[in-house]
Amino acid sequence: MWNGRPRPLPLVLILVLILILSTLAFTQEKPVALQGGKLLTVTHGVIENGVLVMQGGKITAVGAASAVTVPSGAQVVDVTGMTVYPGLIDSETSLGLTEISAEAMTNDLVEMSDEIMPHMHTAEAFHAESALIPVARMNGITNAVVAPAGADTLPGQDSFIQLAGGSATEMLLIRDNAMPLNFTGDERRNKVGFEKRKFPSTRMGLAAQLRQAFLDAQDYKAKWADYERKKADAIRDKKPEPLAPKRDLKSEALLPYLEGKKTIVLAAESPSDLETAVSLANEFKLKFVLNHIAHSQPILDYVASLNVPVIVGPIYEAPKEDERYDTVYSLPAQLYKRGVKIVFASYSAHNVRNLPDQAGFATAFGLPYDEALKAITINAAEIWGVADQLGSLDAGKTANVVVANGDPLDVKTDVKQVFIQGRAVPMTDRQVRLRDEYSR
Amino acid sequence: MRLLSRKIFALHCVWLALTLASAFGQSPGHHDVVIKNATVMTVTHGNIKNGSVYIKDGKTAAVGENVNAPATATVIDAGGKYLTPGIVDSHSHIALDDDVNEATSPITPHMMMKDAFDYQDKAIYRALAGGVTTSLLLHGSANMIGGQAVVIKHKYGASRDEMLFPNAPQSIKFASGENPKRVYGGRDQMPSTRMGNFAVQREALVQAQDYMREWDAYNAKVKRGDKDASAPKHDLKLEALADVLRGKLMVQIHIYRADEMLTEIAMAKEFGYKIRAFHHALEAYKVADQLAANNIAIAAFSDWWGYKQEAWDAIPWNATMSMRKGVRVAIKSDSEDYTRRLNQEAAKTMRYGGATEEEALKMITLNAAWIVGVDDRVGSIDVGKDADLVIWDGYPLSSYGVPEKVLINGEVYFDRALPGLGTTHYREGE
Repeated sequence: MWNGRPRPLPLVLILVLILILSTLAFTQEKPVALQGGKLLTVTHGVIENGVLVMQGGKITAVGAASAVTVPSGAQVVDVTGMTVYPGLIDSETSLGLTEISAEAMTNDLVEMSDEIMPHMHTAEAFHAESALIPVARMNGITNAVVAPAGADTLPGQDSFIQLAGGSATEMLLIRDNAMPLNFTGDERRNKVGFEKRKFPSTRMGLAAQLRQAFLDAQDYKAKWADYERKKADAIRDKKPEPLAPKRDLKSEALLPYLEGKKTIVLAAESPSDLETAVSLANEFKLKFVLNHIAHSQPILDYVASLNVPVIVGPIYEAPKEDERYDTVYSLPAQLYKRGVKIVFASYSAHNVRNLPDQAGFATAFGLPYDEALKAITINAAEIWGVADQLGSLDAGKTANVVVANGDPLDVKTDVKQVFIQGRAVPMTDRQVRLRDEYSR
Repeated sequence: MRLLSRKIFALHCVWLALTLASAFGQSPGHHDVVIKNATVMTVTHGNIKNGSVYIKDGKTAAVGENVNAPATATVIDAGGKYLTPGIVDSHSHIALDDDVNEATSPITPHMMMKDAFDYQDKAIYRALAGGVTTSLLLHGSANMIGGQAVVIKHKYGASRDEMLFPNAPQSIKFASGENPKRVYGGRDQMPSTRMGNFAVQREALVQAQDYMREWDAYNAKVKRGDKDASAPKHDLKLEALADVLRGKLMVQIHIYRADEMLTEIAMAKEFGYKIRAFHHALEAYKVADQLAANNIAIAAFSDWWGYKQEAWDAIPWNATMSMRKGVRVAIKSDSEDYTRRLNQEAAKTMRYGGATEEEALKMITLNAAWIVGVDDRVGSIDVGKDADLVIWDGYPLSSYGVPEKVLINGEVYFDRALPGLGTTHYREGE
C-alpha cells in the first residue's frame, strides 16, 4: 500500500549501494587552507585574519596569516569576513534513534520492559542514514552523544558519534562511551492506582532495584573471578575444568562502570532526587557527571562541592510555579560562578541544529561568552574523553571545522561550510532539497 | 532555613517597593509616560535612533526624535536600548488549565475558551517576561471545528476581566489532518481519515445552513405578522456555525499539508466564508501563491519539523518563501516554552531566507496582530495604538535580546530590575 512514504529500494540496489558506500572511506583528499577568517580557537583565543590548514583529516596549522605557511598543492579557500570555529558537540541527543516522533515504528528510543537495561547499546540501533543527521550537521554540529530516552533508571549505553561518514561503523566513534543513570522522577512509571501497582513504584523502590542490580554485578564479578581461579588451579593440577558460570549480560554491562572505567551520566532535577542519586553512585564508587539539574538551585554549592561536570538544562526547562522566570535561564551562569564545568545539550533529535542558540541565550543571563562557546566545544570534548581530537582549533586535532558568516551563538548566523575530517561535507539536506524544488 | 528567610526578605522588598510606589501616587491607573533615549523599532515606519515615545491614557500619543510631553509625565530612560511593540502570539494554549480540547465530538464550535481562561496561570507571566503582551488563546486541534478563542493582554496581576482584550473580534478554531483522525479514529469513530475529516466538517456546515433557513423562515413569518409561527429551537452549536457562515467569526485553521490547504480553501468557497489564517502551515511554501490570492495569512513555526508524518516536509524557509509570494506571515509559539522567546524564533527568518529586520519583527507583531484581528490597536509603535511596548536589553532579533521592561497600555507590568518575579501588579503569595 502506498502511504506517501518512500518505497523500499529493491534489494539488489541496496546491495550495490552498500558496496559503493563501503569503498568510500571518509577521508580528505588534498590539503585545504582556510585563509583570512576570524578563528575562534577556543583554547588560545581569537585570531583575526588567520589561516587554518587541514591535511589528512587533521588540523595541521592554525595561526595568524603571517605565521602559517600554506603547503604547496593545497586548495586555498578565501574565508575573509567569515568566522571559523571547531565543530560543535551536542552532549545529549537521540540522533539516529528516531525519524518521525509520532510514528512508533521509526523510534528506537528506550526499551520500557524493565527499568534496568544496561545491556541496551544505542550503537546497535543507530541509523546512520537518518534524514535528521544532515539537518543537524548543516548548522555546524559535527559530533554528538546519542543517548537512550530517559524513561528507565538504566536505559542502556550511549554512543559518541561523528555526523558524517559512509556507514554507522564510521560514524560511531565510540560505542558504549557512557551510561545514563536517571533519577528524574520520570522513571516512576509504575506509580499508578494501588490495584495496578507493581514494583518499583516509588523512588525507594527504584533505589532498591538499582542497588540490587549493582550488587548482582559485584557478585557476578566475584563468581567469575572465582571460576577463573579454580580453572587456573585445575589446569595447573591437570584436573577437569570447572563449569563456567552463566553469562549475565546486564551485570556484564555494569562492570566497566563499577570499576570506574567509564562514566555514568547521572540525571536528576530536584535536590532530593539529585542527592539520593549521588549517594547511590557514591555507594558503588561510580565515576559520574551530572545531567539536567534544572530545579536544583537551592543546592548549587553542594553541586559544586562534588567537583564533577554538569550537562545543564536545557535552560528552556520551565521554572517551578513560584520561581522567577529566569531561574533556569541563569543556571549555567550560577554553576560557572561556582567553578563548575558545564556543557550544553539539545536533548533532541530534530532540533540538534539549535544547540548553539541555547549557549548564546545563556550569556544573556550572565554566562561569559567564552564559557558558552566552550560548553559546546572543548568542555564537551573533555567530558567525553576526546579532547585530544576534538573541541578546539589546534594542530593535531581532527579537522572538524565550521565556517559561518558570524557569531556561532547567534540565531541569525548562517553556516556556510562544514568540514568533517578535513572534508567539505555537502551543504544540503532534505529540507534544502525541498526548498530548491519549490523555489523553481 | 537560610533560604527560607532569604525568600521572605525578598517578599518584603517587593511589598515595600509597592507600598512606596502607591504612597507616591503611582498606583495602577493611566498616567502620562515618556520613554526617552531609545532605538525605536516602529515596525511600520522604520527605526528612530535616540527616539522617544509619549504615552497618554495608555495609548501612544507621539513618536519621534523629540516629542512634546508635559513636564509631569513619568520619564523612563531607555539608555539607548531597543524599544519594540509588544509581541503578539497568534497561537497559544497557555492559561487554559489544560482545558484545551473538548475532545468528545469532532464539532464543538460553541466551546468558549474564555470559559477555560485561568488568568492566574504563571505561564502568562513567563511570556510577559519574554515580551509578549497579547495572545490568542485557541482551542486545541482534536476537533475539526473546535471552540472560540479568547484574546488576552498579559497584564499579570490584574483581574480576569482586565486581562481580556477589549472588543477583540471573535476567532474560531478549525483543525484538519492527523489530530482529529487520531482522536476519533482511535475510538473507531468518524473521522478516521482525511475524507472523514472533511465530511464531518461539511456535514456540520450543511446543518448550519439548514438551521439558518429555519430561522429565516420563522423570522419572515413573524415579519408577515403570522402570530402562529413557532420559533425553532435555539441551538448553541448551530448558532456558532451559523456565525461562521455569516462571516462573524474569523476562521483559524490548524493545518499541515498543502493539499489540505487547497481543500479548506475550496470548502470556504463552497460555504461562502473566509479563512483568516492557516496555523502551523508547514507546507504553505508549496501553495503560497494560492494563499496570497485568497488573503490567507499563516501563523507558522520558524523551524519545527519531523514530530509527526504531516510535519515531515517542514522547512525553515517556509516563512520567508511564503512571505515573498505575498502571504502575510506570523511566527507563533503554540508552546508555553517558545512563547517566552518568540523574538529569537522571528530572528531565524533573517537567517533562513534573509528576511529584513523589519520583516522579521513584523512576524511577531503587526502580522500576528492582523491574524488576531487587532492590528488597528496593537502590533506597531504608531500614534493612537495601545502603548504595549518592550524595552530590550540587547538586540531583540538575536540570541541575546532580553526584555528589560514590558509596558501594556502604558503601564509597566514587568521590570527585570525588580527583585522577586519582576512583576509590578502581581504580588507573590497572593
